[in-house]
Amino acid sequence: MKHENTIAGILLLGFCAIAYWLTMGFGSVSPMLAQNVPPTFFPRVVLFILAVLSGILIFTGIGRKPKSAEFLPASFWKTVGIIISTGVLAYFLGILITLAVIAVVLPIAWGERRYRLIATLAIFLPISIYIVFTLGLDVRFPAGRVLDAVL
Amino acid sequence: MNLGLEYALPILTDPMVIGLIIAGTLIGVIIGALPGLSSSMGVALLLPFSLYLDPIPAIALLSALYCAGTFGGSITAILINAPGAPPAVATAFDGYPMALKGEAGRALGIATVASVSGGILSLLVLLFAAPLLAQIAYSFGPPEYFALGVFALSMLASISSEAPIKNLIGGCLGLLIATVGIDLTTGIERFTFGVPELLEGIQFIPVLIGLFAVTELLSQAQELNRQKISIALSAVKLPSLNDFRRVKNTILRSSGIGIFVGVLPAEGSTMAAMIGYNEAKRWSDRPEEFGKGAIEGVAGPEAANNAATGGSMVPTLALGIPGSATAAVILGGLQVQGLRPGPYLFEEQPGLLYAIFFAMLLANVLFLFIGLLGAKVFSRISLIPSTFLWPTVFALCCVGAYSLNQSMVDVWIMLISGLVGFVLKKNGFGPAPIIMGIVLGGLIETSLAQSMIIFDQQWTEFLSRPIAMAFFMLAVVSLAATQFRSVLAMLLPRKNKKT
Repeated sequence: MKHENTIAGILLLGFCAIAYWLTMGFGSVSPMLAQNVPPTFFPRVVLFILAVLSGILIFTGIGRKPKSAEFLPASFWKTVGIIISTGVLAYFLGILITLAVIAVVLPIAWGERRYRLIATLAIFLPISIYIVFTLGLDVRFPAGRVLDAVL
Repeated sequence: MNLGLEYALPILTDPMVIGLIIAGTLIGVIIGALPGLSSSMGVALLLPFSLYLDPIPAIALLSALYCAGTFGGSITAILINAPGAPPAVATAFDGYPMALKGEAGRALGIATVASVSGGILSLLVLLFAAPLLAQIAYSFGPPEYFALGVFALSMLASISSEAPIKNLIGGCLGLLIATVGIDLTTGIERFTFGVPELLEGIQFIPVLIGLFAVTELLSQAQELNRQKISIALSAVKLPSLNDFRRVKNTILRSSGIGIFVGVLPAEGSTMAAMIGYNEAKRWSDRPEEFGKGAIEGVAGPEAANNAATGGSMVPTLALGIPGSATAAVILGGLQVQGLRPGPYLFEEQPGLLYAIFFAMLLANVLFLFIGLLGAKVFSRISLIPSTFLWPTVFALCCVGAYSLNQSMVDVWIMLISGLVGFVLKKNGFGPAPIIMGIVLGGLIETSLAQSMIIFDQQWTEFLSRPIAMAFFMLAVVSLAATQFRSVLAMLLPRKNKKT
């Protein structure tokens, strides 16, 4: 990652521009109702400060020595994939089954090969969560599209 | 001011509350001892559970966890040179060399006594200073609160000297996240993208679970090959009378530092510990021993980081301005519980101050025993394989985010916050400033809007409010001091090179 501050500053400026553009789409109300403090007022003040700070960040990054790109191991990318799939899997399989799947997949992705322990975790983790949250605290977990269709 | 001891006593003698405080302390020490898990993350993970409790038991549980989590980090810092939490980093500088010399027990004993002393001293300050500060805050109007919020944000610049601008940017990002949802003055939707779940704003708990826990999960995924070496621990013994004589001044000085740093908005235990360590070294007769196993090097940061816990609760409760990242999470918990942190809190919730005092006091007494008798057991906890620990933490993240509103949108917010938080962390933007920004966002926007209405859009009217001006001046001084330090840091290496 080269000139990290400069790049981060430029990206933040881009973010500010997009967010400012989004504020232009806010609904409008009469000044009387808004009491002269429209809904765009505070976000725009914050965006202005953010843009100024981003400018300073770009400026401070210019003189700095560029950093070499950092190597991210395969286990990291697998974890990112698992995190993203969690939301999708939970939609289809429900939260509890998804957590059981994660209890299997994540340790394996991180190089764990003690399969009996993995299986124990995969069984006991969702069961403990069910006992504490559903039976104890009355939290209802969604069953997921697949189970809904089957049941 | 009636602090409500008569309301607090029945609650605090309730076996369930005492059980919760003991549980909070044990969980806190375990979380603190586990490398990667901090007290902020622990409180964040426990927050959704605590919502099923009444406010006072819930806050007592979280406060006990906060105290114990700060202490727990020292166990692994001393025994395996892997500070369980950032405030314990400075403890490892001398604690681990002591352990290598076969003095692990002595180091743990010093750390425990220093932590408990710092913690109890800070609680006395909390008990007396919070109501006093609250009384002063009675006279605050919206302009004063706005100025106070600005001062708190300006203090973010000094959380770490390496990235003051990035901390301020993080604070602004937090403020922006806090604007999502319906504007309370006009009823207009802002940044909701047509998602009905966002109308009430982005929920605080999923964001903070994502920023603290999922971000750390990704960090851990990069460090799977790290070796943990456990040192054989001989019986933990109390420091000798000689040891105690040697460190008593360090403990007192560092406790004072910790309480002061804790009371300052946004500053937390980590900074208190670093200053406590540096001051212990500066005042020591044997500074050359530091880094090689000086007992003052263990006592200084431990007294300071634990003293900061009580100190940080003072502005959190009395003003609604968090004194540290973990206090910000507890403040969020108070708000989610429907409480209004600030001067009126002690009237609306008589007994809350005593509950927090009692919970933190009991936590301190408990970890005196844990530190002296159970350190060997707790040090073993740190050897739990990360391949099993982190899937469990991740499962708790998902369940914690979901259970608040029983909404999958919150789970997605948590996952996205974690991924974004990791990218930001890699670029030097820590999670604490963003959390501070989110927590302070509502207060700052509302008080600014009210001030502008009161002043009829005349900004210059702020000049007519002396307290507000004092806070603005403090904010300017805080920002200028950070810049001065940065310039000094840039100049000093050059000077060294020349010489």
